[in-house]
Amino acid sequence: MNTPSAQFEIVVNGVAHHVSSGWHSRRLLDLLRSELGLVGTKEGCSEGDCGACTVLLDGEPVVSCLTLCAMVGSRTVTTVEGLNSDHLERFAAGCERTGGVQCGFCTPGFAVMSSWLVDGGTETGDDSDAKLLEGNICRCTGYQQLAEVISSLRTISEDPTGAAP
Amino acid sequence: MTDAALRPSLLPELELHAPTSIEELTNLVAGGCHPIGGATDVLLSAAHTGNPRRLALTAHVPELTTFAVGPANVTIGGAVTLGQLIRSADFISSVPALAEGAHNVGSTQLRNSATLVGNLCTASPAGDTIPGQFVQGAVVEVAGPSGSRRSVPVRDFTVAPGRTSLGKGEVVTSVRVERCGRLDGSAYRRFTERNAIDLAFASVAARVWLEADGETVKDVRLALGAVGPTVIDASAWAAALVGLCVTAERLDQISESAALGCAPISDHRCSADYRRQLVRVLVAETIELAVDRAHTSNAAGEGQS
Repeated sequence: MNTPSAQFEIVVNGVAHHVSSGWHSRRLLDLLRSELGLVGTKEGCSEGDCGACTVLLDGEPVVSCLTLCAMVGSRTVTTVEGLNSDHLERFAAGCERTGGVQCGFCTPGFAVMSSWLVDGGTETGDDSDAKLLEGNICRCTGYQQLAEVISSLRTISEDPTGAAP
Repeated sequence: MTDAALRPSLLPELELHAPTSIEELTNLVAGGCHPIGGATDVLLSAAHTGNPRRLALTAHVPELTTFAVGPANVTIGGAVTLGQLIRSADFISSVPALAEGAHNVGSTQLRNSATLVGNLCTASPAGDTIPGQFVQGAVVEVAGPSGSRRSVPVRDFTVAPGRTSLGKGEVVTSVRVERCGRLDGSAYRRFTERNAIDLAFASVAARVWLEADGETVKDVRLALGAVGPTVIDASAWAAALVGLCVTAERLDQISESAALGCAPISDHRCSADYRRQLVRVLVAETIELAVDRAHTSNAAGEGQS
């Protein structure tokens, strides 16, 4: 694991990257931002509390500030840049409509969580969006607007024709 | 490198190992490495204090990935995440107090990394999964160097804030808990001001077994979190219920015993008196919820007798 010359493969947003094994013991957040230039993932609190650095590992959300690259293993990484573009456009439009974004720093984390939630993400199967979003902190807009955006995206996802009232 | 490196990580340089057997892991730990599951506590410690810097991943040791809901017990391997546990409907119905504890640790994102064994080994008096382990009769399975193995009841495992009874080179391989059976229910309740980003001010786990009449208490276990240097086994105070039906008056009496008998501190979260008051409220609520679940388990005929 500490062999300096070796490389390892990490798949991010569907693309396989070969990176130096020195990255094994460093944070996924730093790899994404510094090595791969994927700066959509933000560093907020650096302590796993704020959720700005949320990414999906095999489709499940984790904080990349407390994930060492070696802990990713064979799982694939999805960052905000790798989300479905239709979903991202709808999320952005929803934030614009409701005032769900101000400084924007938390927004990528919420975007990743919104994608996970709209795709049916859950823990016990009986969790509210509020419970599942407890790990994402917004200090500008509050949470009602973001909850409304996610709720409306779920409606669109269930009825993409828009025929529902 | 791009220009995107806005600020350096606060983490020190880490030495990371990925052992694939218990023997390799215990040897590394005996040599000074710290075992990590999700590392959600350990990396904060490394960032804040510079230690530990030598780490050994538990995820690649096959034995540590076991998660099995059996007929009488649930076995939770050292590398099993809280997210894995609470996605299992069997787990939730088998060990409700432990499932509620697991569901209260951190956030969705943290639960996908953090492990139950990590929560135990951090040995915080406020650890959300520990009271549930007490009432579900948890036995901690430990492996040491030279192939040694031993089993430790959870109440003997946490000995002080942040300290466990693990010896040099020892690691927890799994925690084994009893499933709730028929006429047998458990629950976990806590109070905190901010979910996900703050610890419990006080927490309570309870387990109640009812007699065949569905009313009389056959046995009871009670554990209190965040109101002493370790989680407190308060079953002796709750034993006043055994042989009797649960009434508001009897619950008040037990709540008062627990509130006076626990050993809370005052800190930045709240005062010791406030914690005692929380214990009064939470003990009664949690026992009532456990009794309701014991009733339900009878009506549904779930579990084993």
